[in-house]
Amino acid sequence: MSASIEIAGVSKVYDGGVRAVDAVAMDIRQGEFFSLLGPSGCGKTTTLRMIAGFEIPSAGAIRVDGADITHVPAHKRDMGMVFQNYALFPHRTVAENVAFGLRMRGLDKATIATKVKAALAMVELSGLEERRPAHLSGGQQQRVALARAIVIAPRVLLCDEPLGALDKKLRQQMQFELKQLQKKLGLTLVFVTHDQEEALAMSDRIAVMNGGRVEQIGTPAEIYNQPTTRFVADFIGDTNIFRGERTTTNTMASAIDVGKDLILALPRSPDIQGTGILSVALRPEKICLSPRADAATATATATGSCAHGIVENTNFLGGAVLYRITLEGGHRVLVQQPNAGTSRLFVPGNDVTLDWTPADLVVLKD
Amino acid sequence: MSSAAAQRPNGLALFILPGALLFALFFFLPIGLMALMSILTGNPVVAPKVAFTTRHYARMIGDPFYLEVIWTTIRIGLVTTLVALAIGYPLAHWMARIKSRAGHALLLMAVLAPMLTGIVVRTFAWMTLLSDRGVINQTLISLGLISQPLKLMYTETGIVVGLVHIYVPFMVLTLTGVIGRIDERLEQAAENLGASPLRAFLEVTLPLSLPGILAGSLLVFALAISAYVTPILLGGFQIMTLPILIYQQISANFNVGFAAALGIVLLMISLLLVVAYNRALGLVSGQHDLQ
Ligand SMILES: Nc1ncnc2c1ncn2[C@@H]1O[C@H](COP(=O)(O)OP(=O)(O)O)[C@@H](O)[C@H]1O
Ligand SMILES: [Mg+2]
Repeated sequence: MSASIEIAGVSKVYDGGVRAVDAVAMDIRQGEFFSLLGPSGCGKTTTLRMIAGFEIPSAGAIRVDGADITHVPAHKRDMGMVFQNYALFPHRTVAENVAFGLRMRGLDKATIATKVKAALAMVELSGLEERRPAHLSGGQQQRVALARAIVIAPRVLLCDEPLGALDKKLRQQMQFELKQLQKKLGLTLVFVTHDQEEALAMSDRIAVMNGGRVEQIGTPAEIYNQPTTRFVADFIGDTNIFRGERTTTNTMASAIDVGKDLILALPRSPDIQGTGILSVALRPEKICLSPRADAATATATATGSCAHGIVENTNFLGGAVLYRITLEGGHRVLVQQPNAGTSRLFVPGNDVTLDWTPADLVVLKD
Repeated sequence: MSSAAAQRPNGLALFILPGALLFALFFFLPIGLMALMSILTGNPVVAPKVAFTTRHYARMIGDPFYLEVIWTTIRIGLVTTLVALAIGYPLAHWMARIKSRAGHALLLMAVLAPMLTGIVVRTFAWMTLLSDRGVINQTLISLGLISQPLKLMYTETGIVVGLVHIYVPFMVLTLTGVIGRIDERLEQAAENLGASPLRAFLEVTLPLSLPGILAGSLLVFALAISAYVTPILLGGFQIMTLPILIYQQISANFNVGFAAALGIVLLMISLLLVVAYNRALGLVSGQHDLQ
């Protein structure tokens, strides 16, 4: 039966004094696909290894279904793990690798054979039972590692960048299959990745980590649409970040002066208080682009949700186009527009008008 | 190898020449001569009339004394190897897995330090410890634990103690290299799947370090059966091994032919082991499933 995990104020300081994980707290629900996302070195693997029992936290506690397991040795935790490099036993066949955990549980031979067969069928590896890991492709090794971990029906499945070594096509296929499997088995899955697209596509919830700390926990939509910190806004997807001082004008009750003749109207939100310096984020696809039309936009500029600029270059993405635009004042802005046909595309040098809704502006904590 | 490369050797091949010459001159030539001498009735340089004979080998097989010497040599080699493995493996495992650099350096120094002293000196040191009036017996007697000195020297045990001390570094260094290359995460994967640390070691690390165990054992065994100084000093000619016998045959009995035959036997034991080692290595590294 899948379990919930509670990570309560866990820190890890390595022998050399490196504070790899710093007061991390998160509640992972039963049956949830939970991702730890962050740049390399931010402490994802360390967090996962503490859950698995390979590292002992320097502070804090880890609870599974409410029971404190902080000091339970790894082999008594009943968790499956898919390692970054798979860690398949090179001296054993595929079938023996998958059977290992069942053998350690003292099951009889017939039961083991049945379960191994079923697990290999589930990851579509039937027929490769007698191969050795060295004679498998990367994708096949990945599946063996997965089968080995789920065949023991673990309370929690831990995956450390399991798809990192696969090429893009295979990775997308495995993402889909892993997600399917997780839902089918109702597994609680903790998934480590540095790939934000992967995390957004697969997770029920994501914890974004940076420098050993959790920056934000939320659903993919929350993380993307309402990043709470500058780091999260910057790390997830493309974004325009402006920094400036709170101000008011005679047309805007609440605005931010980001310099270079640009004043942005702030969304009406009770969270925004005080007068100090603020950072705000505006996603490229939340900006609307049109050929420059002075008269119509004069009032919009005054309301802080419009600007003029010149297209510097374009990046054709297929379904969309990414424009790099220099505003009149000098700010450089990314704008993404759906590809509405060749005749509607802008080219470098075009004079354009940008407008957006103040509500799409997200105020960030530094 | 392609035939073109074989026909037209490149310039680099010349660099092998000095080594190849040296090998031929100091390895194949002496061994060839030894093999020849072992089947001749006398030295062809000094005696003009020599003939081929099998009498040296017949003498060895016919006399239980010589068979006993061969068996003693092998027995000492085996026991030395097993003890060196038992001591060396845990040490090597510790060295390969230790996290701190300073700790690793200290262990390495501890393993290598004895090698800085000559074999003779170390053997004499063991004599002062093991002899009837040596440190161990004196201590035990003065503590009243024994009344008569234990017979530690001039026994096989004494020889094995001395040999183990000398050859354990070879075992440790060979094993450390192999164990160090085994990914620690394999053991962790085993533990994650429910194996206790001991079980994980037995199921994963031990089988994966078999090549190192084989190589280290082969090295120590070959060195131990050909050891000369330690068996003489700690055995005091009361334990006869092949190298001592060979030396006696040459220096005391001037029977070079018989000494050569004994040398060939010593060589054959090592060669046989190398062949067995290669077969075993093929088996454990799973090369048989390559076809
Ligand atoms: N065994 C270790 N000893 C010392 N420092 C470590 C160890 N493992 C990881 N670190 C350090 O801890 C930090 C976090 O590492 P890690 O958890 O592996 O990050 P991630 O998986 O997010 O890339 C890094 O700065 C890394 O160098
Ligand atoms: Mg990592």
